[in-house]
Amino acid sequence: MSDFSNALAMSASGLRAQATRLRLTSENIANTDTPGYHRKTVPFETETDPRTGIATVSTGRVHLDRSDLEQIHDPSSPLADENGNFDGSNVDIIIEIADAREAQRSYEANLKMFDQARQMSASLLDLLRR
Amino acid sequence: MFQNLDIFRIAMKMAQHSGAQQAASAQNIANADTPGYRAQEVMGFVEMMQQDGGPDQMRATRPGHMMGQTPDEIPVSERRESTDPNGNTVSLETEMLTAVDAKRAHDESLAIYRSNLNILRTSLGRS
Repeated sequence: MSDFSNALAMSASGLRAQATRLRLTSENIANTDTPGYHRKTVPFETETDPRTGIATVSTGRVHLDRSDLEQIHDPSSPLADENGNFDGSNVDIIIEIADAREAQRSYEANLKMFDQARQMSASLLDLLRR
Repeated sequence: MFQNLDIFRIAMKMAQHSGAQQAASAQNIANADTPGYRAQEVMGFVEMMQQDGGPDQMRATRPGHMMGQTPDEIPVSERRESTDPNGNTVSLETEMLTAVDAKRAHDESLAIYRSNLNILRTSLGRS
């Protein structure tokens, strides 16, 4: 039984981590056209519970991607400098969409595991019924 | 007739084993995107039974006996598989297969348990 509750806890941590990642990805996509926006990324870390020995996943601190911002040439913009350029964002929409896809895939895998552990423990409890 | 009850013990072990396998798969899948994570794998059921079921093997009769190695503990090792560029060795496809195996083994063990329970009930005249 404790194996199942461990499995549920681990799957739930995976779901939470992937949801955080997906949230940041959509934040990045929403801000693609915001001048001066740096894309946000979040690292995944394994967290081992010393008491039970189960390894859940957690998200660390949100980091800003410090790579160079895209220079947009638009002399009519109020943000433009003397050369007519201003800072765009460094969001690459292809990368964000690929990341969102991967997060979705992992989320679904975790959800499947959660559901399966639940089914297994339900069928185990079903033995008690006649 | 109670020698037959061994079958309940084995069915229970099988259920325990598949539970552990399911937990290992859940752990691997939860950590499928964590850099540097190594995939875990539980020992196969047949292999495990061969290892501790033989008559010439030492048996622990209580927890704490034989250096604290409880007989119920299911050995877990690292899976040797191709590594991602970030040092992660989890393959979602392999984990799906393992998890389906675990589910099937679990269903099978519960079916065995239930059917033997029915036989026992019938023999007691309480079907």
